[in-house]
Amino acid sequence: MTRREVLRGGLLGAIAAALPAAAAWERTAPAQALALAPADATLQAFFDTVVPGRRVARTVSGAVVHPGAIAGADPDPGAVEADALALAQHPRIGFDALAPASLADLELRAAEQGGPFLALAFDARTRACVQGLDFGNPLRTVWEAAAAVAFTAFCGGAISRTQTRADAPGWAVMGLPGRAPHGYPDASYGRRLARERTRKGYLA
Amino acid sequence: MTRRADVVIAGSGFGGAIAARRLADAYARAGEDPARIVVLERGEGFAVDSFEQSMHIDHLSRVYRLIQGQGMQVVTATGLGGGSNLYLAASLRAPREVFERRDRRPDDGPDRRMWPKAISRATLDPYYARAERALRVRRPSWDQVSRSGGVWAALCDAAGHTCDRVPLAIDLDRCVDAKWCHTGCAFGAKNSLLTNHLAIARRRGVTVEPLREVQSVRQSSARPYRYVVTAAVVDAATGRPTGGLEELECKVLVLATGAMNDAPILLRSRAALPSLSEHVGRHLGSNGDHLAAVELDPGRVRDVLGLPGYAEFHEGKPITTMTYDFWAGRRRDGTRFTLQEIFLSPLTGILYDDGRGPPGDPSWWGLQKKRSLARWSHRIELLAMVEDTHDGTFLPVPAPHGGAVRPNGGPVEIGTFTYELSDQSRAVRAAADAAMRAIAERSGVGRFLPMTETEGVYCAHPLGGCRMADSPDLGVTADDGEVFGYEGLYCSGSSVVPTSLGVNPSLTIAAVAERIASGLVRRGADLGLPLK
Repeated sequence: MTRREVLRGGLLGAIAAALPAAAAWERTAPAQALALAPADATLQAFFDTVVPGRRVARTVSGAVVHPGAIAGADPDPGAVEADALALAQHPRIGFDALAPASLADLELRAAEQGGPFLALAFDARTRACVQGLDFGNPLRTVWEAAAAVAFTAFCGGAISRTQTRADAPGWAVMGLPGRAPHGYPDASYGRRLARERTRKGYLA
Repeated sequence: MTRRADVVIAGSGFGGAIAARRLADAYARAGEDPARIVVLERGEGFAVDSFEQSMHIDHLSRVYRLIQGQGMQVVTATGLGGGSNLYLAASLRAPREVFERRDRRPDDGPDRRMWPKAISRATLDPYYARAERALRVRRPSWDQVSRSGGVWAALCDAAGHTCDRVPLAIDLDRCVDAKWCHTGCAFGAKNSLLTNHLAIARRRGVTVEPLREVQSVRQSSARPYRYVVTAAVVDAATGRPTGGLEELECKVLVLATGAMNDAPILLRSRAALPSLSEHVGRHLGSNGDHLAAVELDPGRVRDVLGLPGYAEFHEGKPITTMTYDFWAGRRRDGTRFTLQEIFLSPLTGILYDDGRGPPGDPSWWGLQKKRSLARWSHRIELLAMVEDTHDGTFLPVPAPHGGAVRPNGGPVEIGTFTYELSDQSRAVRAAADAAMRAIAERSGVGRFLPMTETEGVYCAHPLGGCRMADSPDLGVTADDGEVFGYEGLYCSGSSVVPTSLGVNPSLTIAAVAERIASGLVRRGADLGLPLK
């Protein structure tokens, strides 16, 4: 089973089924097999610059995090822990098609900061991304798409199986419980809070 | 082999569902079988219990389309029931000034009223009433107003403004305030079209065919049949076209696939429909949607507003209050806006600038933004609906399939349109920002978070592309929805709406669709339908 199959197995079918398989693979695989492809490690570093987080060795779904990807700029979980890379590789997102252009420009900007991107400190990564996301960059759209992946994983809980903060670390940070199967019993202040202009709620 | 039907209705959102139901009623009254009315829907054949509280990419792919065009991002729906499955159910009559707006843009012909003469708030009011009855619109009591809506009302009040409760197409007794309307109600409490028009149409015997995406139209020479519709068969598992095509020949065709799709279908059919107005694909609008957020200081909420704090953005109903103070009494066209408290989805967290960092630091991503997201539950979000100028245009060559290019089975599509805000559209958005900031930051209760600097508009309410008008040199359809030059070919729904509305558009789309359906039933016998 390849690394990507492990990642996608968690996404596509049943994370519950895939994780034991992944764990078994990890026990038998040589240590170097755990390393991510360089491009994926760089993407993780980019996602960590867009939505920074704490250092972790595994994402919430158990996927490998490159040891140098997360800069540790924030003490709470970030986009990498929220499985932004797995979302980028999800067949319904299709970011794979944009990744080469995105990464090539990323490394170009990183070189100006003393790159490669993965080797840069957080502040230098941020400076490279400020340039990439500048309106003057003709490839800005590709950068925006890459940033959107990070936010969709973090704020959108897009690959959380439980749709609760248990496996949507972004929601845990945001204070959003996720699914509310019984709703909320006391969701109102229960009193009039403004004068109203109209009798029926709409203008004449 | 080409099948035949009396009426083909492309799309099952407000425009299509209302046409199907009203025609089915008329067929039933005439003792005819409504099975010869066929509704084609590109997405899944949803039932009321098809929805779940889930932002998972697989569920989003079933229900949403996120269309990235040049200058505008559009959120729209797919599947039986269309936008009604996902909408937040605010059901408001548009203010009368909307229908009196005039178009003064130089490339848009003479100074004139943008809506057809026959349509005003007064002439539309009976259809609004019909739409409200069918959608069971109710106004929440203050006990049913969410805390997020309540805090907005209190902020408005403290700033000397009025703030009104918003009528909703929600069964308020059944709603459990879970604030998950945005992926389809899991409690059957939202009065989507699956609970009314579509349920009645199906019960009467209308044929509903999901997973059929209308591609193009050509004329038929076999009277009384007028049009041949070509639809792509869509694979249920992948959401992608299988490559199979079906043809249906019909006497009457109603295009009701929404503003993102009606114009592309007609543009694709232009060679076969050479008399179409030059306005097909023009005047695409965003309803003047303009978002912002407010981060509240719970202590100031207590001290200044006299409320017991605030940290419950995720609880309640997604829309409950709005102020009309920046609309009422303003005489100048293009300067008005309304301000509504709204919860679209947690994903909108991407949209706002934190704005704390020094100039040059990232404001919509990066460390400050992350820390801002950690205070998300203390937010409210606001939707300004401004009078803009429908600044979008579809490219003359549409996507090969559907309304936009869909690169895979996911929710993201690439729109084949451009959207360039006019000076007026920019100015009125800036005025809305200033108003929201002034209310939010008064006495330090909140911090205004403007929409992320981006080129263009984020829109959940696309309108136009086939606007109605008094003549083909101004628009695509007449006020009754019939396409100029093509008897029996109708557009119904969001695509015919010529202006932004100042309120959430679903009730106006429904009222216009009721008016179009009413005219269609009246003319039915002349068009060869078995109606008296």
